Amino acid sequence: MQQGKGVERRAVLKAAGASLAVTGLGVTATACGGGSGPGDGTVTIRYAWWGAEDRAQRINKTIDLFEKKYPKIKVKTDFQPYTDFWKKFNTQASGGNPPDVFQNAVGFLRKYDANVLLDLHEQVKAGHLRMEGFRAGLEKFGEIDGKLLGVPVGSNSMALVIDKPVYARAGINPEMGWTWDDFDEAMARVRDRTGRAGDSGMYGVMYLYDLYLRQNGKAFFTEDGLGFTEGDLTRWWTKAEKGVRSGLFADPKKVAQIKPKSALSAELAGSEFTWDNFTVRYTSEGRSEYGLAPIPTTDGKRTGQYLGSLMLSASKRTQHPVEVAKFIDFMVHDPEVATIMGYDRGVPATTAQYEAYRPTDPVNKAIAAYEESLVKAGVLEPITPHPNGADICEAAFLRIGEELGLGKRSVGEAVEQFFNESKTALSS
Amino acid sequence: MGTAVTHAPATEARAKDSEPRHGPGTPPRPADLKRRGRRENLAGYLFMSPWIAGFLLLTAGPMAASLYFAFTDYNLFDAPRWIGLDNFSEMLGDPRWRHSVRVTLWYVVVGTPVKLLVALGVALLLAQKRRGQAFYRAAFYAPSLIGASVSVAIVWKAIFSDDAIVDRTQKVFGIDAGGWTGDPDLIIYSLVALTVWQFGAPMVIFLAGLKQVPRELYEAADVDGAGKLRQFWKITLPMISPVLFFNVLLETIHSFQIFSSAYIVGGGAGGNACGPADGSMVYTCYLYVQGFENSRMGLASAMAWMLLVAVALVTAVLFWSQKRWVHYEEGGR
Repeated sequence: MQQGKGVERRAVLKAAGASLAVTGLGVTATACGGGSGPGDGTVTIRYAWWGAEDRAQRINKTIDLFEKKYPKIKVKTDFQPYTDFWKKFNTQASGGNPPDVFQNAVGFLRKYDANVLLDLHEQVKAGHLRMEGFRAGLEKFGEIDGKLLGVPVGSNSMALVIDKPVYARAGINPEMGWTWDDFDEAMARVRDRTGRAGDSGMYGVMYLYDLYLRQNGKAFFTEDGLGFTEGDLTRWWTKAEKGVRSGLFADPKKVAQIKPKSALSAELAGSEFTWDNFTVRYTSEGRSEYGLAPIPTTDGKRTGQYLGSLMLSASKRTQHPVEVAKFIDFMVHDPEVATIMGYDRGVPATTAQYEAYRPTDPVNKAIAAYEESLVKAGVLEPITPHPNGADICEAAFLRIGEELGLGKRSVGEAVEQFFNESKTALSS
Repeated sequence: MGTAVTHAPATEARAKDSEPRHGPGTPPRPADLKRRGRRENLAGYLFMSPWIAGFLLLTAGPMAASLYFAFTDYNLFDAPRWIGLDNFSEMLGDPRWRHSVRVTLWYVVVGTPVKLLVALGVALLLAQKRRGQAFYRAAFYAPSLIGASVSVAIVWKAIFSDDAIVDRTQKVFGIDAGGWTGDPDLIIYSLVALTVWQFGAPMVIFLAGLKQVPRELYEAADVDGAGKLRQFWKITLPMISPVLFFNVLLETIHSFQIFSSAYIVGGGAGGNACGPADGSMVYTCYLYVQGFENSRMGLASAMAWMLLVAVALVTAVLFWSQKRWVHYEEGGR
C-alpha cells in the first residue's frame, strides 16, 4: 500500500488468483469424488457394512482375497455399529454419495426401493452375477416387485443366546418346544440361583415380538401397517414391566451404560433374544461361553421362526455396476470367503460356500446344529412383510420399551406413544 | 463489515498520494475520488471473494434450501413435496418434540447462570494480584479450549457412568445412583456439569472487564467506609454490567445450540442418540434424529427454523432488558 498504485494492482491480481485457485480446487475435489482414480483402468468401489470389530477383521481378509483375484478393482471400506450405520448411510445417500455396495437387510428394501437401490437383474443377465446355487430359496429373499435389490450372503434365525455356565448353574436345559411358562420359570431360576437377571430386555426386541405374534396367527407388520392391536401390546409390556421390577430382566439403566457392548457379554443378564450368528460376536466380546437355546412357544410346537438374511445391495448411483456385481458374486460364491467369514453373517447362502466351511470350533458348530434343529423340527415358516417405515418402528419399539423399563412411562402411555409413532412412520 | 475492510487501508493510501497535490487538509476533487473509490471497492471485493463464495455456497444457499424444505415433506431420497405448514403443526402436537424443548430449556436455564456465576467467581479471585497468577489463569482457562471436543465428551461419559469415579464417590456417601449417564433424570446434569466446567471463555472476558474498573472508585469507597460486599454490588457489578450482558447473551445462544456433547454423552456408538428414555434429548438431538434417523428432512428443517426464531426472540428480549440493568458510562473515559 505504501508504494501506491503499482503494488495495489499487483495485490488485486493476487487476490483474484487466490480466489480462482480456491474455486479451482473445489472443482478438482468434486471431480475426484465421483472418479475412479488413476488412469490405468483401476476402479475403486466403496463397501460399507454394520457390525462389530471382529466382523471387520474377517471382511478385510476377504477383501484382500478379492483384490488379489481382481487387481483392477480396489475396495475402500467403512463400518459402523448398526444404528450409526444407517444414519451415515442416509447422509451419504442424500448427498448423492452412497457407498457403491453395502450390507442390507429385508427391513430396508422397501424404504430404499425407489431411489437408492440398484436392480441387479441386469448384471445377472450380463453374466457378472450368478444367482444359482443358493440354499433354501434364498435367491428370492432380496426380490421386491420383480426387482433384485439384494443378494443374501447368509441366513440366520432368531434364538435365545445363553450364557452357558450361568444356565448350567441354574440347572436349566431348554428344549425345542418349551413354552413361555417354562421360560418365565427359567428366568426366575437364573435370577434366584445365579444372582443375575435372566434376560437383557426382550420386551423391546421387535423381531422377538414378531415371533410371539406369529405363534398366535398374527405378525408385527401387514403390507401397510401394524399387525397387532393396542390390547396385544399392552399384555406384552405389562408382563415386561413386572419382569423389570422383579429383576427377571436386566436393569435398563445398566444396559444403557455398557453400550455398544451387549448386556449378555457384559454379564448383566444370563440370556438374550437375538440372531443366532451373534454368538460369534459375543464370544469375541465377552469372557464366558455362549450357546443357543430354542425360542419358547405358545402351543408347544410353533416358534413362528423364519429365515432372516443379511444381504449385499448395490447403490443406484454407482458408476461401476459391473465391478460391484463381480464383487457381490465373489463374496457370495467364493469358497475361501466362507472359510474366513465362518457363520459371522449367518450360515452361508450358497451351497458352494456352505460346503466349503465345515465348522470345527464349538461356537460355529453350535450355530450349524441350531439351524439344523430348526429344519428338523419343521418350525420355519415364510417371512411376513416389512413395509416402508419398518426400520423406524423397530427403533421406536426398542426406545419406548426402554422407557417403559426405566419407569419413565406407564404401560398405557408407552403403548399409545408406540402406536402414534408407528402410524406416522408407516404412512410416510 | 465490507466497508470497514475496504476503507481502512484505502484511506491511508489516498492520504499518502494526495498530499502533494492538495496539501494537508484540502479534500481531493469529487470525480477523482469516485473513480478511485470504485477501483478500491473492486479490490476490496476481490480480496473478500473467497469469503463471499464460501458464504454463498456454504451458508446462504443451504439456508435458503432449508427454508424451502421446512414447508415440504422431504425424505432425502424422493423429491420434496410442498405441504405448507404441516411440519410446524406436527411438531407442536408431538410429545417428543415438547419433551426436547423442556430438556433444552432446563439445560439453558440451569447451565448458563451456573456457568456464569462460576466464571465470575473465579475471575474475581484471579483479578487479585498474587504470586503465580499467570499459571492459575492458564490452568482455569484450559478446559474451555478442549471442552468442545468429542474426546472430552467421551471422557465425561466415562466419568459419570455406572461404577466410575462419580458413582463410586457417591457410594462412599451412601448414595447409589447407578451412574448418571444411564439415568433419564440425572444425565442432563452431567451435561450441565460439562458446560459449567468450560467456564474459561466467559471468565477471561469477566477478567478483562474487572481490570477496566478504575481503582479510584474503590479507593473512594474505602474512604467512605463501604465494605467489600457493598463495593461489589455498588461498584463492580454496575461497572462490569456491559461485559456481563455480553456473556449472558453469548452463553445463552451457545447453550441453545448444544449438540455434540449431548449426542456423545447420551448415545455414542450403537446406542439411542438421546440418552436413556430421551433423558438428554436436547432440541438439536431430536432434530438430528428426525433428519437422519427417521429420514424426515423437511420436518428437521422446520425444527431448525423454529430454533432460529426462538433464539432470535430470546436475544431480542435480552437486548430489550439491558436498558434496565446494563450500565454504560456516558462519554467514556
